Amino acid sequence: MADAVREAPLLSVRDLHVSFTKGGHTVQAVAGVSFDLQAGETLGLVGESGCGKSTTGRATAQIIRPTRGSVTLGGVELTTLRSGRLRKERTRLQMIFQDPVSSLNPRRRVIDIVAEPLDIWGTATGTERTRIASEMLEAVGMDPALTAQRYPRQFSGGQCQRISIARALCMRPEVLVCDEVVSALDVSIQAQILNLLEDLKRDYSLTVLFIAHDLAVVKNVSDRVAVMYLGRLCEVATSDALYASPAHPYTAALLASAVEPDPDAPRRHAPLDGEPPSPLDPPSGCRFRTRCPRAAERCALEEPQLRAIGPGREVACHFPLAGDDGPPTAD
Amino acid sequence: MIDAPTPSGDAGGPSTLLDVSQLRTTFETARGPLTAVDSVSFSLDRGETLGVVGESGSGKTVLVRSIMGLLPGRGTTTTGSVALDGIELVGAPSEALRALWAERISMVFQDPMSSLNPVQRVGNQITETLRVHQRLGRRDARAKAVQLLAQVGIPSPAERARAYPVQLSGGMRQRVMIAIALACGPELLLADEPTTGLDVTIQAQILDLLEDLQSTRGMAMILVTHDLGVVATRTDRIMVMYAGRVVELAPTRRLFSDMRMPYTEALLNSTPRLDQASHTRLRAIEGRPPDLVDPDPGCAFAPRCDYATDQCRTQVPPLTADEHDAAHLFACWHPRGTPVRAVAPSRSGDG
Repeated sequence: MADAVREAPLLSVRDLHVSFTKGGHTVQAVAGVSFDLQAGETLGLVGESGCGKSTTGRATAQIIRPTRGSVTLGGVELTTLRSGRLRKERTRLQMIFQDPVSSLNPRRRVIDIVAEPLDIWGTATGTERTRIASEMLEAVGMDPALTAQRYPRQFSGGQCQRISIARALCMRPEVLVCDEVVSALDVSIQAQILNLLEDLKRDYSLTVLFIAHDLAVVKNVSDRVAVMYLGRLCEVATSDALYASPAHPYTAALLASAVEPDPDAPRRHAPLDGEPPSPLDPPSGCRFRTRCPRAAERCALEEPQLRAIGPGREVACHFPLAGDDGPPTAD
Repeated sequence: MIDAPTPSGDAGGPSTLLDVSQLRTTFETARGPLTAVDSVSFSLDRGETLGVVGESGSGKTVLVRSIMGLLPGRGTTTTGSVALDGIELVGAPSEALRALWAERISMVFQDPMSSLNPVQRVGNQITETLRVHQRLGRRDARAKAVQLLAQVGIPSPAERARAYPVQLSGGMRQRVMIAIALACGPELLLADEPTTGLDVTIQAQILDLLEDLQSTRGMAMILVTHDLGVVATRTDRIMVMYAGRVVELAPTRRLFSDMRMPYTEALLNSTPRLDQASHTRLRAIEGRPPDLVDPDPGCAFAPRCDYATDQCRTQVPPLTADEHDAAHLFACWHPRGTPVRAVAPSRSGDG
């Protein structure tokens, strides 16, 4: 994968900021996030609740407009587009959400839900519309003859998620933003959907931003993984490298907190005390320093920027772990 | 330690705290009776931790609520026996149950926000329990409440006792729930998905807390979860449920090293793991759980099972002990015979 990623990225996010105003206070939900998606890759975005990962996904898809920063898709800047042109461009980038049942209109038949984007854009009508929607249902593993005329309530959560995916694929998007798409599903159904996403990614040449809190799920589907904490990225690396040797102390703590279905897994006590500080009043300098075992004076004074510490590997930490115990060096 | 569940009617050994026998819970629904828990028998020793694992609809939550006697009366029928230290709970009058709640048996729920009273300060919710059950005076109850909040790891407990649930984070609310559940020193704690919905770093804290409190108090615990990872290193035994029945019950290590029931094996294989390479193809279980109102005859897992035969589709397999290992029970006509580890066929990169 690493060799194929030298071309211009398909999707590029630069210095993304999203602020919300709440009771006179401003919350910086996303505070300067940058990443690239190369065509055909899956970037996992992982972090705990409130870290801003979903907001990052929504702002990337322009469902909420970022306060500042740039999002370019195939060279087109999305953040400055007005609504008509934006809607057109946005068909190239589709989003799927956590709760499939509430994101489907309960009063419409499955075939009409899947074909909705075609209706909106007038892409296809009549038999062509039915043909495309049926093909999408088949692609997500549902038999159109049995399902097309039924309503969402007649399906389980896993099947509703398949219907949402079929709808998202209808316009043949290049980028799919998946926001916690398997978190509400049982393990056995979750595995079906993860396998399906892998198959669809290959068959439809998709580029995926996969947002989730579950570390094992993210590792399973991602080529690269970005770890987020309190509105900032801590670390970006190839999936296997990040999990094998985390460079950011927060990544290490997350991995040490995860439980594995293995009675011989090393027993560690919870590596982090306390809870993340309020995004209303983030710590100075490094946002993780208040819970970081390696924090030093410099961490309070100077905010660490994401910097390369190896091929395809970036970390925002003054004292990264990255393999050796010696003094940290840049590059 | 008594590993095997005692046969129905038997009071069990002196170390047995809980003895559940042929427990069955049925709900009336518009489509007919739904059997959520069927033929469940097991026993639990004092101080023991039993993990109960299953997916949605497996009956794990209804099971612990049936044990606790917390199901709504109308339209719900529970039969069989639940004996806590020899006291029968099924059919016991609610006054008798109330006398046992908090003092001998207690419960922690998945969603602390909906189990805490939103308009009462959390400290008062603890003192209420203490004053009702332990007849403590106001001042003593308050002091003990603050002490309990400190024990469950809440910083500045005296100050936090004055907070309302909405002012606390999810992890803090779960700590308050645990403080309430433990206030009167129960012998048995039923924890129903106590960390579901919490972040991993907070989940690790809560699981550590439960384990510490349990070992210092010698309390038995039933830890209900959908996540095999949560129970893998924190339980003495694991009971796997599917479609309302126990399908496998074994000491934790033995369960993982020698899974006999194909469902247990399939559940493990469909779980993504940190020690697998990226893009490892998961072995998903095709299909979905059965309809409990109108179940097919035979083993409930048969329609999704790779090894099912005609016998599986017509006869329900009984929960029986391994012939070489009385502590390992499983309900399967064609049990897996060899030690099985989670090995999924790995695919090299997709792109």
